Amino acid sequence: MTVGLEHYLVVSVMLFALGLTGVIVRRSVLVIYMSLELMLNAANLALVAFSRFTNNLDGQVFVFFVITVAAAEVSVGLALIVALYRKRQAAHVEDLRTLKL
Amino acid sequence: MSILTFIICCPLLAALLLAFVPNSFRVVMRGVAVLATLVSALLAVLMFLLFNGAQVGATGYRFEQQIAWVSALGISYHVGVDGINVGLVLMGAIVAFAAACVSWEIKEREKEFYILLLVMAGGILGAFASLDLFFFYFFHELALVPTFIMIGVWGRGERKNYATFQITLYLSIGALLALVGLIALYVQSGANTFDIPALTRHIFTEQHALSPGAQHFIFPLLLFGFGILVSLWPFHTWAPLGYGSAPTATAMLHAGVLKKFGLYGLIRIALPLLPNEAQGWMPVLAWLCLGNLVYCGWVAMRQKDFNWLIGYSSVAHMGFIFLGIASLTLIGITGAVLVMIAHGFLAALMFGLGGYIFQQTGTLRIDELGGLLRRMPFIGMALMMAAFAGCGLPGFANFAGEITVLFGAWTVFPQVTILACWGALIIGAVYALRAVRNILHGPLPDKWAGVADAPHLWRKLPFVILLASLLIFGCFPGLLTEKIKPNAEQIVKMVQAGGRNAPGGALVTQAAAKEDAR
Amino acid sequence: MHPELLPWIVLFLPLGAAVLITLFTQRNRELSAAISIGAVVAGFVLSLIFRAWVGWQPEVRESAVTWLSVGSFQVDFGLRFDPLSLAMLLLVTGVASVIHIYSWGYMKEDRSLPRYFAGLSLFTFSMLGIVLASNFLQLFIFWELVGVSSYVLIGFWFERPAAADAGKKAFITNRLGDFGFLLGILLVWTHLGSLNFTVLQENFTADPQALGTLATVAGLLIFCGAMGKSAQFPLHVWLPDAMEGPTPVSALIHAATMVAAGVYMLCRVSFLINAPALEIIAWIGGITALLSAVIGIQQNDIKRILAYSTLSQLGYMVMAVGLHGPTPAMYHLTTHAFFKALLFLGAGSVILGLHHEQDIWKMGGLRKKMPVTFWTFIVGTLALAGLPPFSGFYSKDSILALAAEHNSGLLIVGVIVAALTPFYMFRLVCVAFLGAPKSDAAGHAHESPQGMLWPLRILATLSIVGGFIGIEQLYASQFHTLPLEPSPSFLQELIAPFVHAPMAAVSGLVAAFVGLAAAWALYAGATEDPLPARLGALSRWMRDRFYFDELYEATVIRLHDLIAAVAAWLDRWIIAGVAVRGTHGTVELVGRALRLLQTGSLQTYAFLFAMGVALVLYLALK
Repeated sequence: MTVGLEHYLVVSVMLFALGLTGVIVRRSVLVIYMSLELMLNAANLALVAFSRFTNNLDGQVFVFFVITVAAAEVSVGLALIVALYRKRQAAHVEDLRTLKL
Repeated sequence: MSILTFIICCPLLAALLLAFVPNSFRVVMRGVAVLATLVSALLAVLMFLLFNGAQVGATGYRFEQQIAWVSALGISYHVGVDGINVGLVLMGAIVAFAAACVSWEIKEREKEFYILLLVMAGGILGAFASLDLFFFYFFHELALVPTFIMIGVWGRGERKNYATFQITLYLSIGALLALVGLIALYVQSGANTFDIPALTRHIFTEQHALSPGAQHFIFPLLLFGFGILVSLWPFHTWAPLGYGSAPTATAMLHAGVLKKFGLYGLIRIALPLLPNEAQGWMPVLAWLCLGNLVYCGWVAMRQKDFNWLIGYSSVAHMGFIFLGIASLTLIGITGAVLVMIAHGFLAALMFGLGGYIFQQTGTLRIDELGGLLRRMPFIGMALMMAAFAGCGLPGFANFAGEITVLFGAWTVFPQVTILACWGALIIGAVYALRAVRNILHGPLPDKWAGVADAPHLWRKLPFVILLASLLIFGCFPGLLTEKIKPNAEQIVKMVQAGGRNAPGGALVTQAAAKEDAR
Repeated sequence: MHPELLPWIVLFLPLGAAVLITLFTQRNRELSAAISIGAVVAGFVLSLIFRAWVGWQPEVRESAVTWLSVGSFQVDFGLRFDPLSLAMLLLVTGVASVIHIYSWGYMKEDRSLPRYFAGLSLFTFSMLGIVLASNFLQLFIFWELVGVSSYVLIGFWFERPAAADAGKKAFITNRLGDFGFLLGILLVWTHLGSLNFTVLQENFTADPQALGTLATVAGLLIFCGAMGKSAQFPLHVWLPDAMEGPTPVSALIHAATMVAAGVYMLCRVSFLINAPALEIIAWIGGITALLSAVIGIQQNDIKRILAYSTLSQLGYMVMAVGLHGPTPAMYHLTTHAFFKALLFLGAGSVILGLHHEQDIWKMGGLRKKMPVTFWTFIVGTLALAGLPPFSGFYSKDSILALAAEHNSGLLIVGVIVAALTPFYMFRLVCVAFLGAPKSDAAGHAHESPQGMLWPLRILATLSIVGGFIGIEQLYASQFHTLPLEPSPSFLQELIAPFVHAPMAAVSGLVAAFVGLAAAWALYAGATEDPLPARLGALSRWMRDRFYFDELYEATVIRLHDLIAAVAAWLDRWIIAGVAVRGTHGTVELVGRALRLLQTGSLQTYAFLFAMGVALVLYLALK
């Protein structure tokens, strides 16, 4: 079986969907964060696949940007979660409702 | 600098000045407010007296002044008077002065109150004098917003918060509809100007009438938008509650003057610029005005609170003006303008007197009051005269206007006129006299044995001025009609000329033509 | 000086007096009275001078100022001088002068004397305005002003609920008539093109069919105004209640002048009213005359008896107009003004003498105690009863003669009323003046001061000579009826009715004697009323005015109030409730629904983002 672009893209979509479901359904903030990372990596996979199959390096360069930004974002995000946990003693997203009108 | 600019800016500048006066100088604040409105009123009287001799500008208006503002859109500050609005400006200025005098009863936060009052006065005068659609609307909103604050803060009754929200939102919706109509008019006319004389010239003289389709959707917007502002039935329920909860000066200015804005807009803008559609809608307007005259008269008969009674009575009188406008005849429109001016004085007078009674007795419930004529001869007699003016007694300006409207509308809408006569003669008399009977006549209950009449000239002055205005224009209506007639005639001609091709309008044009041929 | 300036002065003098009193002399009673009396007496004198200057020629002259002129709606403020208005000018100023003078004596003790005289002056101004008006709308304007003066004067003692209510009732009942009147004026204006009486008469003569099919309707609508003002059936209910006002007011307004304005107006525009309408008008007049006379028989308040008598005589006048006889109507109006004013002023004298007692069964024996009042009252009664040589005989006879000519049904009605009138009047005289005093107050009564007695004497004289001073000829010249040749000798003039229309004259006279005799038989020396025992329920019905007031209250007023209640309910619950609050509520509900989306939960928001993105992608790729 030849592995074509579409196989990579399907995997990428599946990963993205899994990540999205995780964000929407899971209660623990850390797990939501991890699902978020999964979504980002699904996007990375898609980018790399496109780069490989169109013989254009732009996709891979873009992946580098994404990874860098993801790293920065993770550090900030985890710091926020730790701070939140220290304040609230809870890491469940249902307890964070102060945005409610 | 036109005298009109002085008349408009005097209260506005005084409001600005008052912002700098410290709170504790209460006499100064009152003095400034009264003085500013007095100056405005005197200038308005001067303008009225000089009107006939004043130079007529190219646009047909007198005392004109135009300052370009946003030329790209065609907006300019353009003021001027002709026969139709000179009386309105005069009435507005006099009522504003009376309202300022009456405000001695406000005892807390006077500074804010007087500032709002002056802004309202300036806005009203600007709206009547304005010849530019943009500023027309702007001045109206300038006058409307202070009512929200005034009723909310200084109002009376448990429902004042609801009342203030209702009146403001309701009137804003009306104003919004009118605004959409005005902007659509601007866009569809293709003249790229907000200036009313320029628009009139473009549409009428240069024959660029708006397409029937455009007129078809613009005119109802204007009719009902302005109609809501004037408490056209069935959009009238904001009036009684709003006026009942408002402080006296606000009610005087609003019911007396601000309400006429919509009617003025109809006469000045909607009728001449959208003649085809106007003719089709006039029968509807005639029957709706019965809702005001007869239906609201009936409701007024059932009211137990004097302010509500005056509120409904005020709505009922608007019916006359609508009837006059609907007739689209020279007599009808002249009568309509006359009633506008007369009713302005009358509403201000009645609300002012009601406010005085409330101030003395703490209640306006008709079944609790009684026998007050013995203790308050001046106020009592003024109230009686106002009641009779309201039910159309000759000698007062209201009679002159109402009779003119009836004669004007009789040729066009006989059935409506018959019912209007019933409303004016019978229903009006019933509730007015019932009110007088229950408030002024009969034995004096002990709890009111201590009430006092208006003690000195300053307290009596606003009522004297308003009564005098009613009597002067009632005995000499020619002072007003001679000015109104030429311009009313112009408007009628514009409507008839434009409307010759309208399907439903043929009936109205025919009757009007037969009317004029006599 | 132009002679036509005089009536303008006469017209505006009382207005000036009213304004002066209201603004400046409220504290000074003597000055207020002097101003008011002076204005009207000066008016009378000036009217005499004017009459002497211009004579009684039937030619019409006018003097006018434009008041309101818009297109074809032209209203002038003008004065019209023809025999009719000149005669009424003298009548109004003359009777008003006499009553003003009387009022000073009658109202001297009242604390609000200035307000009274201001009202009286305002009334005089308004009444003169009606009489001199040159066009329909001006007439209407003064018509309304007279109505408001009446309101103010009836409700003069406003602290009494009865008086305040009576004033309101009078005004509103009058307004009902005015409603029809205004519609009639509108009809006439559209079809005949003008409001001015002279122009109307010209246009009407040129084209008698101008009103077309609406002629009868127009005539009846105009008559509505007279129905209200002259208190014809069914709008008669306000006049008896109007007796709550001071007695001189009843004399001036509700006997001599204002109520006569309706008859005057009908005579003024009689050319416009066609035969079918006139027939109805005649019958309404006849019914009013009969109904009021019957009610009057069982009234016990002296003023109310006189009020019903006035209603009855007004019915006669209206009947005369309806029988195509404006001359007899105006003749009777004039003589009636004399003797009815006299009777009311006499009643006032009695009331004052007995310290405001008005029940005739508490009077009695006043013949000895108040001689001048008694004798003038007798003169008035005889005139009213229609006995020769008093003026009432001649004027009433001219009406009966007219009825004999045109409509025998109404002749019978007229004769019956001619019998009832002396009956109730002599009932009054017997009970109140003759016999023994029936109460303490009657026993201590004393005659009124001279200021009140001289008016009585003047009016009595006029009541006696009224038949001989050429009043009928004067009116005949106005209405172009065959000029009555003045009789060669006084004796022939005395018996003229018997010569011209014997049947009417004789039946009228016989009826009068029958009524007088019946009253004498039943009431001479009576201490209580024998009729209730004999007539039972009928007597009670008469005393309770045939329950018309109650009927109107139950039907018309209740119906109107019911409609008003429905309107109020509709306004409160449907328009304000459903529409406005409904809109408010709907907007609030939508707001609340949308608010549910704001959960504050991160995951809900994320879900919604995803949904949104999916939707946009779907739409973009479609």
